[in-house]
Amino acid sequence: MTTEQEVITLTNQVFEESFEIEKEKLQPQMNIFEDLGLDSLDVVDLVVALQKKFGVKIRDDERVRSIRTLGDIYQFILSLKTEWKS
Amino acid sequence: MKRVVITGVGAVSPLGNDVPSLIEGIEQGKSAVQYMEGWEQYTGLRSLVGAPAELKDEKSIPRKSRRSMGRMSFFAVQATQQAIADAGLEQKELSSGRVGCVIGSTMGGAESLNDAFETMLPEKDLSQLTSMRFFQCVSHTAAMNVSQYLGLTGYVMATSAACASASQALGAGYDIIRLGKQDVVLCGGAEELHPTVTGSFDVLFATSVNYNDIPHRTPRPFDRERDGLVCGEGSGILVLEEYEHALMRKAKIYAEIVGYHTCGSGAHVSQSNKDAMVFCLREALASAHISPGEVDYINAHATATMQGDKEEAEAIRDIFGDEVPVSGLKGYIGHTLGASGSLELIVSLAMMEKGLVYPTLNLKTVSPDCEGIHHVMHPLAWDIRVMVKNCFAFGGINAALVCKKVNHQ
Repeated sequence: MTTEQEVITLTNQVFEESFEIEKEKLQPQMNIFEDLGLDSLDVVDLVVALQKKFGVKIRDDERVRSIRTLGDIYQFILSLKTEWKS
Repeated sequence: MKRVVITGVGAVSPLGNDVPSLIEGIEQGKSAVQYMEGWEQYTGLRSLVGAPAELKDEKSIPRKSRRSMGRMSFFAVQATQQAIADAGLEQKELSSGRVGCVIGSTMGGAESLNDAFETMLPEKDLSQLTSMRFFQCVSHTAAMNVSQYLGLTGYVMATSAACASASQALGAGYDIIRLGKQDVVLCGGAEELHPTVTGSFDVLFATSVNYNDIPHRTPRPFDRERDGLVCGEGSGILVLEEYEHALMRKAKIYAEIVGYHTCGSGAHVSQSNKDAMVFCLREALASAHISPGEVDYINAHATATMQGDKEEAEAIRDIFGDEVPVSGLKGYIGHTLGASGSLELIVSLAMMEKGLVYPTLNLKTVSPDCEGIHHVMHPLAWDIRVMVKNCFAFGGINAALVCKKVNHQ
């Protein structure tokens, strides 16, 4: 089972590995576009990387569109885990 | 028509990542051909040699520009940066709308294309494809990435004619400037070495297969013991500039492009055709108003395939007899395919500047079917005022450029 801390760690790994963002910047309140510099093409790659990292399928999940902050991603992944558990 | 001159050069090659190291390697008679570790895993691939270039410093390109670049685009961007610096062009000019680029390749980014298929095909699943695969592997990837990264806002085009891609890029740039559509066009080609690329020639029995244990002895253009081509990689970019524009900037002028022609053989997709080569060369010379007797040097396509070399030697013999020195450069750097026309033109310009013809490496005994032309087998001090660069590609596509020294410089 993936704990909240594991979700944070693995998500942050994606941002470091795929988008070369320094660890210090990876705070939950950070806006992934304005603060971390991602654009629409990066979001495509973010989805691919998260799918691979967590073994989930989220490409067609509407909730991806409303993600703004890093914290939104943590919560989204955690909610997926909860849904699966239930 | 406007006049067109060459005012800058840049190269990433199997013999080094800039023009001086490429020239130095050739002057030292070095071969960049090596055994390709790991290629033996491909069943049916018989040619296990290649001439790789070194990919380095790519991390100096910011991520958002770098993400759309595959191997060949890195080569092209780095070669273009060198050429721009060599020509002394400023950034504001690059973004004036009067500076463009035409950069060709055989098939786009082979490595990225292969990776895309490896991701997608096993499970027939597209969901793991990243957004950048398309940009890394399309046939205009080098031109697109060069123009985006360097802020070019003029013409952006990509030629795709296999081994004539770079020559066609140069020819297109030449025509664009002659017509007054652009002041400067950054022209050339880029290519990456990959087993799928060598393999596509290997299945046609066009590759060198007998020298896997002694790679530096192949390819052997025009030689009795030649047995096929060896693929290489890299990028060569030249700055083509309108003559008056270059004079106004007091730019160094390497040479003037005075003639160009490209044509199809209309005969066969893979077999070289002497008559089509002769036609191409004659048309290029006619467009330059230059007679065969005025040509001082021919840089041959000379891939070291059995039929290609024979047909080219016959074509040269028909037009020039045995008077004009001929050499080829693929013994040093392999066949860089879509980049060969520009990389080899850059080396030819160095020959013109130095008054020295570099010999055909690995040509030890001229094959009987390639006799009757002036093969250069040792360094030759020679005044080169006019030269011809040949490129004869799969698909029956031929291209020839005629360059002339600019006298008052």
